[in-house]
Amino acid sequence: MSTRRHVLKTILWAIMGVLAVVTVARFMRGLGATTALTDVTPWGFWIAFDVMSGVALAAGGFVLAATFYIFHMEAYHPFTRPAILTAFLGYIAVAVGIMYDLGLPWNIWHTIFFPQFRSVLFEVAMCVMLYLTVLALEFSPVVLEHRWFNRPPFTSIYALLRKATIPLVITGIVLSSLHQSSLGSLFLIAPYRLHPLWYSPIIWILFLVSAIGLGLMMVTAESFFSAWMFGHRLRMNQLAGLGKAASVVLFLYAILRLGDLAVRGTLGSAFDGSWQGNLFLFELVLGALLPATLLAFRGVRNSPAGLAASAAMTVLGTIGYRFDVCIVAFYRPEGMSYFPSWMEIAVSLGIVAGAVLVFIFFVERLRVYPEEHESGEHGEDPRPSPGPVFNPGTVRALLPLSLAAPRFYSIAFVGAAAAAIGIISGNVLHADPAVHTPVSAARTLDGVVGPPTGGHLRDVRVLQKDIPVPGGYKAMPLLMINGNRDDRLVLFSHDLHITKFGGLLSCVKCHHENLPFDKNTTCDKCHRDMYNTTDTFRHASHVAKLGGEKGCVRCHRDTKQVKDRATATACSKCHADVPPEETVVKPKEGTKKGVAAGYMDAMHGLCITCHRQMVQQSPKEYGPDFARCANCHRDFDAGQLLRMGPYVEAARGE
Amino acid sequence: MTAKAILTDTTLCIGCELCVEACRREYKLGEDKARPWKMRIDDLSATRYTTIVRRPGNRFVRLQCRHCRQPACVSVCLVGAMQKTPEGPVVYDPDRCIGCRYCMMACPYGIPRYDWDKPVPFVRKCTLCYARLGQGREPACVEACPTKATIFGARDDLVAEAHRRIRENPGKYIDKVVGETEIGGTSVIYISDIPLDFLAWRPDLDRTPLPDLTWVALSKVPPMVLGVGGVMAGLWWIIDRRMKLAEHKEPEKKT
Repeated sequence: MSTRRHVLKTILWAIMGVLAVVTVARFMRGLGATTALTDVTPWGFWIAFDVMSGVALAAGGFVLAATFYIFHMEAYHPFTRPAILTAFLGYIAVAVGIMYDLGLPWNIWHTIFFPQFRSVLFEVAMCVMLYLTVLALEFSPVVLEHRWFNRPPFTSIYALLRKATIPLVITGIVLSSLHQSSLGSLFLIAPYRLHPLWYSPIIWILFLVSAIGLGLMMVTAESFFSAWMFGHRLRMNQLAGLGKAASVVLFLYAILRLGDLAVRGTLGSAFDGSWQGNLFLFELVLGALLPATLLAFRGVRNSPAGLAASAAMTVLGTIGYRFDVCIVAFYRPEGMSYFPSWMEIAVSLGIVAGAVLVFIFFVERLRVYPEEHESGEHGEDPRPSPGPVFNPGTVRALLPLSLAAPRFYSIAFVGAAAAAIGIISGNVLHADPAVHTPVSAARTLDGVVGPPTGGHLRDVRVLQKDIPVPGGYKAMPLLMINGNRDDRLVLFSHDLHITKFGGLLSCVKCHHENLPFDKNTTCDKCHRDMYNTTDTFRHASHVAKLGGEKGCVRCHRDTKQVKDRATATACSKCHADVPPEETVVKPKEGTKKGVAAGYMDAMHGLCITCHRQMVQQSPKEYGPDFARCANCHRDFDAGQLLRMGPYVEAARGE
Repeated sequence: MTAKAILTDTTLCIGCELCVEACRREYKLGEDKARPWKMRIDDLSATRYTTIVRRPGNRFVRLQCRHCRQPACVSVCLVGAMQKTPEGPVVYDPDRCIGCRYCMMACPYGIPRYDWDKPVPFVRKCTLCYARLGQGREPACVEACPTKATIFGARDDLVAEAHRRIRENPGKYIDKVVGETEIGGTSVIYISDIPLDFLAWRPDLDRTPLPDLTWVALSKVPPMVLGVGGVMAGLWWIIDRRMKLAEHKEPEKKT
């Protein structure tokens, strides 16, 4: 085996190692922890690459089957087996990719048992399943040719399959043209989301034609791969023929696409300089116009470099088309962009790596390239000896030669898996995902506070640069309390409250409880939601602190009772200083241990109850107004909000 | 059973979010969780089937599933997990779902949400309280509304009521019942004094129901099977025959 193949296989096994780790993370933690998918981007990299592009890239199978079996072009016989194998492995890769993407992959059999004939996706699913079966049957003669199957039951099956070739090929072509086109039909439902340059009533025809063009070029690409990997000679005559056909098909695709836009009157938007227009032109030129033009020249078709370049452009451009339809040109609101996570890309790469490994495995052991086989390229030995070139001396010295290579792949696999475990973020693999509720902390901004006007009521305003501070007003920092997180703020003078309640020692009156190692925990640390109570008690950290499972009885004293929050010891039994003695708000006893009220309840409970008490104590100083809603919620007036705009913006930008 | 509907009059909504809380209590939705990117925490989510959107000018618009009369989500579902009931609600069967999320791609209003943070995720959306309707009760959000900004009833009656309000208060409303006819009409309709174009991905919604667009291509499947299959079989037969004839002729020529 050549060094080249050895290096490639080592890299592929390393990618498989990463795949193994990400697979565990994906199925243990769900899609949210491992992908960048959101509610506005429900289909991402896996659908665009593994499914949309994967199916298109595997189009070589049915295109070449038609060329050889239907059109009887005998010269293309050497291409059929590798093309069918590529298609077979490609579709298995698609199926595996779908398993990662589906939220409930174990329910996939529902597709067969609850058929929905009005769903395009149902048609796609059935066609892919059936075509996978057809491909398996088309490829199985190659397996049955192995000398191990050279005995009675298998020989008759082999003969039967050879007889069924033509019906199988025709079925395969029908199924392929159906689902290659239906992958485009999937997007007919979204005329209001898919950009008009990509949305088209004939998108299904465009998908089919572009897939045929790509299929022809994929056969070429596969020939280059086997030439590079296995040292097979390039059959330039036949490849030039494929290139000529691809040129015609790609031109047809480009004409259809541009013609469709012209008919619908949206062709202009391709040239308006917008990023969508430029992307459209780039994708069409790269994937169709440029390779089609190049391949139209005999000189380019007959040169390996020209063919390889055209194939690469077609592959990239057609994958680009699928990505644009599926992700890039699919509308999502401003600021909600999507970029796949490294784990999404790792899964896709891993599936491809697996497919390539199986491809190499089959080529090494079966007559995938019958002509090359007969010329003695692969020899008769089904177990080729591993190459001695790539093995480091130590491994080679310790192991017999036949074991050294597999051992080296294992090292690559395990090493990459270990690296992946290291890279994967802690809360994906082995911890509960951290809860980060994006509540803005109460921020400060410069304000002015007027003198008391009747009782304790004061005018509180945001300081504005161009408006002079009115007489009798004092500049002081104000807290913006933003419980709804919608920038309808309450302006709160922290300084005045401190003075009122008797200096810094009065903190506990409002700051009733601090989180560990915290001196003044801000409100939003516990009061996360406007309406909902929040759990401030962390069971795991208590378990760790109290010495694991031995520590249970420290809180759950009564071992006969159910160990839940209601029967546990009160927090204050251990944390005597939580809450401090003078606090206004005390946590409710009973079932409410370790629970913080919602933001609204906390604010209302603190502000209103305290102000009501103060009014009782000195009604003259504390006007009755203080317990009224508008005292805090006066910024509800839209005019006021408008006036505060720039300050709010500035504060948000911090 | 007559088709039911919800009519929301945004001029009456004060944004108190009691509907959101009623929904949360009815379905035990729990706490809102953090979202990635710039998604607002008070947007619709797997833990929030209805929400209030604040619009300029102190206007509040309640979002929820629109329960289209010809729903895109139902037509695209390949296992029938989404179903349109004759009473109006579009309901979801978690036991059927395979999690492909095509419904989320297809919805013209961007409504269905997903349990992204769970290893066994489901699609989440408003069901118009289908179970409560069966008990003869109103949806929880409607029951909770203190200002009757959102009301429940037979769809025909509500459409008539909406037109009556527009007619009897000239100048108060924009003369359009949102959801009456666009893409086949919806079972959650709105009247408003502010434009509600933001409810859909694009403001220019056509009358054509979305499933019809797909059907144009999908109805071509049987002819395509016969066409492609027939042409391929025919071509094979013709070419095969010609080649055999050529083989037979060749030796004759030589002799």
